[in-house]
Amino acid sequence: MRRLRSIALLALLTGLSLAQNPMEFISPEIKRVGMKLACLCGSCRNTVGDCAMIACGYSLPARQKIKRLQMMGSSDANVVAKFIKDDGLKVLAEPQTQGFGLLGWIMPGLMVTLGLIAIGVYWKRFRNPEVAAAPKVDAATVEQYESRAAAELENLEK
Amino acid sequence: MENLGSLALLLAFSVSIFALLASVVGGLRKNGFLLAASQRAVYGVWSLITLASALLVYALVNGDYRLQYVALHANTAMPVMYKIAAWWGGQEGSLLFWSWILATYSFVVVLTNRKPYRPMMPWVTAILMATQVFFLILNCFVVPPFNVWAIGKGIINLPDGQGLNPLLQYWTMAIHPPMLYLGYVGFVVPFAFAVGSLIARMPGDEWIHTTRRWTLVTWLFQTIGITLGMGWAYSVLGWGGYWGWDPVENASLLPWITATAFLHSVMMQEKKGMMKIWNIVLVSGTFFLCIFGTMLTRSGLVQSVHAFAVSSIGNYFATFIAIGIAGTVWLILDRMEYLKTESHLESVVSRESSFLFNNLFLLASCFAVLWGTLFPVISEAVNGEKISVDAPFFNRVNIPIGLFLLFLTGVGPLVAWRRSTVDSLKRNFLWPAIAMLGLMVGLYGAGVRNGYALMSFGLCLFVGATILSEFYKGTVAIAAKESMSFINAFVELTHRNTRRYGGYIVHMGIVLMFIGFTGAAFNRDATVEVQMGKTFNIGRYELKITELKDGENDNYAWMKAAVDISVGGEKIGTLEPERRLYKVSRQGTSEVAIRRRLNEDLYLNFAAMAQQGQGAIIQAYVFPLVSWIWVGFWVVLIGTLICLVPSKIKYSYARTQVVATGVAAKPEQHAQA
Repeated sequence: MRRLRSIALLALLTGLSLAQNPMEFISPEIKRVGMKLACLCGSCRNTVGDCAMIACGYSLPARQKIKRLQMMGSSDANVVAKFIKDDGLKVLAEPQTQGFGLLGWIMPGLMVTLGLIAIGVYWKRFRNPEVAAAPKVDAATVEQYESRAAAELENLEK
Repeated sequence: MENLGSLALLLAFSVSIFALLASVVGGLRKNGFLLAASQRAVYGVWSLITLASALLVYALVNGDYRLQYVALHANTAMPVMYKIAAWWGGQEGSLLFWSWILATYSFVVVLTNRKPYRPMMPWVTAILMATQVFFLILNCFVVPPFNVWAIGKGIINLPDGQGLNPLLQYWTMAIHPPMLYLGYVGFVVPFAFAVGSLIARMPGDEWIHTTRRWTLVTWLFQTIGITLGMGWAYSVLGWGGYWGWDPVENASLLPWITATAFLHSVMMQEKKGMMKIWNIVLVSGTFFLCIFGTMLTRSGLVQSVHAFAVSSIGNYFATFIAIGIAGTVWLILDRMEYLKTESHLESVVSRESSFLFNNLFLLASCFAVLWGTLFPVISEAVNGEKISVDAPFFNRVNIPIGLFLLFLTGVGPLVAWRRSTVDSLKRNFLWPAIAMLGLMVGLYGAGVRNGYALMSFGLCLFVGATILSEFYKGTVAIAAKESMSFINAFVELTHRNTRRYGGYIVHMGIVLMFIGFTGAAFNRDATVEVQMGKTFNIGRYELKITELKDGENDNYAWMKAAVDISVGGEKIGTLEPERRLYKVSRQGTSEVAIRRRLNEDLYLNFAAMAQQGQGAIIQAYVFPLVSWIWVGFWVVLIGTLICLVPSKIKYSYARTQVVATGVAAKPEQHAQA
């Protein structure tokens, strides 16, 4: 009896709970728009387009809504705009490239630029100009060392 | 039991305060008695926290459901392994686990370093115990693990508990948190030594020699923890992703990135006496990011799949972090004269430059992840409207940074210290660069049009070729000189300089992981409702459901779909994706079935029963090259372990110039390779 109850519950979970067949809302067109929208169910960090929970409390109604709007002739941009109007900017999977969202995109690049400037400053501060100048030892000594190093390297590779 | 556990924690709290004060006063007054007492107090703290932890684990294993923590995170039907894992499965227990690991690290640090680093140790002990006091405040007064269910003065004993979250009842989840915690908590030790050396006004790089191995070991634990988490997500969550850029995942990545930067830049300090301030900043940043990550998981500051609970605990963490950062900044500014650079840069094309760029891009990646994680909170605070930042943002920002770092992985180790000549660059990089371009052109000709994938594969070949050529050249030279076989010469080469060649192996592991990451550009998926006996296709596979089975045990009921797999009409195996319903929590989970191969994984998820007739809704995925991530991980693991083996030959490097005054390193002090 207990087993029967568990299996019935599992069946409920895996099948009967899907009052509306989710397969009707899986298509490349729906996925294309869904990839721009964040799944806001709180149980995953996927987009509506790739949310794997087939009966997800947010993604499934969102896909239904996308399909409905597409059937009414809405463009992708209009569908997304409708979602923003209904749920706010948090429905977008990534910040917009305008308004405050632009700051989200700019900051990483800005930090890299500042880092490059910092490296430039560091370089200027700790560069040793003397080393770049001609060696203080005479040419004959340098040549002697170089030929010795070359001979040792040759022996090493034999 | 609950009284004994609480008492042990309160005593540990008191003793750790004593250890902190005794080490500070003992250090200031050079009082040997107080210093010895503080060291023994550290051992006492460990004993007391171990006692409290043992009592909690005993309660979990034996089902003492009078305790709230036990009732909320364990139940009778759970296997013993998961009952033990429940220790770190909830807020209170995991913080106790944090304290226990910290106490264990402190014990080992004091035991092994009290004599060789006597002048520094009072301050190291003080930092370790200050952190311990903070966590024991949480254990004792904010989220105590030994609270009981009670009405009035009567204690209630529940018949059974709710059990651990079913998603966490998976073998990697039993070891993922301990590994991650060993990493998180372990970074306290290098921080304590760095700050200890500053407080003690110790000249030179002694703290670096002391803590390099600590850092490497904790970095390894962190790497293992992160990869186990990736493996868990891949195998359990049912969508085949191994990294979702969830805030809590990001929180584990942040200190790993800064620690990686430190492990590289520390070489600049060892060999050139440069970047001393930067190294202190990196070690401190890593420590505070660990605390920050712990806060993110527990405070409800950001919305996360992995978060424990929304609580006020974040305020305590924020206070601790603020005080810690303020103190560290003050200390660095005050001890600036001890952190003077001893050498100069000579050429843009040099190892020194590659380290500078390596650090810049690692830190840029760290910032991008941190920024993306906090941007929703920032936007809500500033703008009044929350802006989501999910995987597309992180991928877009981090992929270019990652590719540049991959490039540096190949270039950096082969560029000479001080300066590289055009000839040496040509000798080291010409053929790998030609091979890279050849591969990219070939892949493009074969139809690969994803720019990042082309670049990534090309760079993987470039880096792999440079590393292999280094091994080859060295091995051939030793084999000829010592009359050894190639294999023996390879081992000899690695053993002579374990740090260098172990590092190369780590880099090779990273290359293999990048191959796995790049495979994601070619993922395929299909969600189909299929009746028993019918077939459907994904990629080259033909799949047919042949049977639906069900059953149950004490913990859960399950349903399985047997799916036959054929390629070109020939059956190559059967996969059995499963759905489970955990009885106590009434929570359902997916147990995906995966056919793992080096070229691609076939991944099936039993999403639901079919709406009509006998069948199932199956989510099928093909993930090309994903197995190379796990192969790469093992290579990284082996490489890191090799780095930890002492080299056969002790290399020493004379500093080229010493410009600092009396407080700087002694000229004869050489850095050991």
